[in-house]
Amino acid sequence: MPAKNHKQWKVPAFEQGDYVDSRIYSDQAIFDEEMEKIFKQVWIPVCHESEVPEAYDFRTTSIAKEPIIVVRGPDNEVRAFLNVCPHRGMRLERRTAGNFIEGQPSGNPKHMTCMFHAWQFDMKGNCVDIPRAKEGYQERLTKEDVGLRRLRCEVRFGGFIWVTLNDKVEQKLETWADGAFECIRSAIDTEPLEVFHYHKAIIDSNYKLWHDTNSEFYHDYMHYHNRVTGFNDEYFARTNKGFKNGHVNVNSFTVQYGEFELGESREDLSFPGFPPNQWYMIDLFPGMNFNLRGSALRCDIVTPLGPNQVMIEFRGLGLKSDSEKDRQTRIEHHNSIWGPFGRNLHEDLLGITGQGASMQTGSEPRRILHGRHENNLIHDEVGMRHFYTEWSKWMGRNPSDPMNEQNESLKGMAAE
Amino acid sequence: MSWKRICASSDVPENTVKKFAVDDFNVIVVKSGEEFRVYPPMCPHMEESLDETAIIEGQTLTCSKHLWGWDVLTGQMQGLAERDLLSYETKCEDGDVMANIEAELLYEYGKEDDDDDDDFFD
Repeated sequence: MPAKNHKQWKVPAFEQGDYVDSRIYSDQAIFDEEMEKIFKQVWIPVCHESEVPEAYDFRTTSIAKEPIIVVRGPDNEVRAFLNVCPHRGMRLERRTAGNFIEGQPSGNPKHMTCMFHAWQFDMKGNCVDIPRAKEGYQERLTKEDVGLRRLRCEVRFGGFIWVTLNDKVEQKLETWADGAFECIRSAIDTEPLEVFHYHKAIIDSNYKLWHDTNSEFYHDYMHYHNRVTGFNDEYFARTNKGFKNGHVNVNSFTVQYGEFELGESREDLSFPGFPPNQWYMIDLFPGMNFNLRGSALRCDIVTPLGPNQVMIEFRGLGLKSDSEKDRQTRIEHHNSIWGPFGRNLHEDLLGITGQGASMQTGSEPRRILHGRHENNLIHDEVGMRHFYTEWSKWMGRNPSDPMNEQNESLKGMAAE
Repeated sequence: MSWKRICASSDVPENTVKKFAVDDFNVIVVKSGEEFRVYPPMCPHMEESLDETAIIEGQTLTCSKHLWGWDVLTGQMQGLAERDLLSYETKCEDGDVMANIEAELLYEYGKEDDDDDDDFFD
């Protein structure tokens, strides 16, 4: 059929579920609801334990626009808190990362200090000093009455640090992941991992468009490298597998790195118990990606900033015990595919920035197709559909008809 | 106990606080009038290094971080302070400041409670 007017274009060619309404990617109210109903409720990885290796190391980040600080205490425990002073609500620590052993011009050694009025907190979030407390508060308020807002925190799945803003989260992290990590468990949990690559990008696109891209392989047509090293019988036999709570993984095949004209086999370096040149992909609800490809583990953490803006943090990891030579090899392998100047990452980003450009807040609503069915094989879009089934549960909205207006519109068309 | 040379008396101008190494640790020397005193370098409140934070005005030495103060010659607390300074016996001899040192004097700071708090949310 030729080009269509808007009304014709909106007529579903598919069953609901095989397409979504573009407003789930662009509507401000839906975005705000996602922060409240999803991002403030579930487990989110915020960084890796190797980024806070020493006592008093810290790292700051945010979940659903709430500032978060993660610190390693002198007892070696990693704890997470809201990065907010209980006095006047100021952000407590301004730096992205650092160590509290050294005092700051407005802070004291071994404490978190609010520079505003010098309230002091220890690594367990206890308030240990309020300057001139008795003079101002008499006995009405003491340091025992205040403290940092502690958050649930677990170190798990290859040493990532996970936090949830939900004190009453129903499932422990292990249960919530529902086995999605089992395919790479021995590879990432046999010995400690270490982050060797970090960069972040702020992209004008919706966070789910990034997760969609990570959840479907049909777009390998965009990736020259993946086509020449991958498109073979074994590749087309890869399958998507859904887990509870919206998680998906894609099983492995043997990548033919040598087929790329600038490439070479990567069979000499892998992870514990992990055969060489394999490639597993784990997509975790609501938007995190773990990608073990031969000699490097990549992790994408999304921080949604608005309906059409997302910060993505990209980490590359190897083994903490790597020799200098092996580490260098991992870095080269990682960067050649996933570095900012790699063969693959920027192509994915071109995909979602193109979608972001066409799905800005207020853009004409349209259908986005998620309708490839192919027995869960590699180009089946079941990964995205599995995600949106979960999304729908949390949101109480149908992604194909998020404003609940389709029945009305179909009725209208029938009348014409 | 042994008397140790810390510095030359000319190294410390009036109403200043200077840090010096002795053996394998540090001390501070303060001068008020013609008198010298040798103290451990840290503020007994929050482990600040007093050579960076202390101000001497009149007979009072004050840590500028949270305004704990002491008598500069006796180390006795004044104002907001809640602990005295520890001090080394001090004398001036042949133009040198000497301190009688048996071992490094250290303050005990509030230890973090070591409760196992894994069940914080349970």
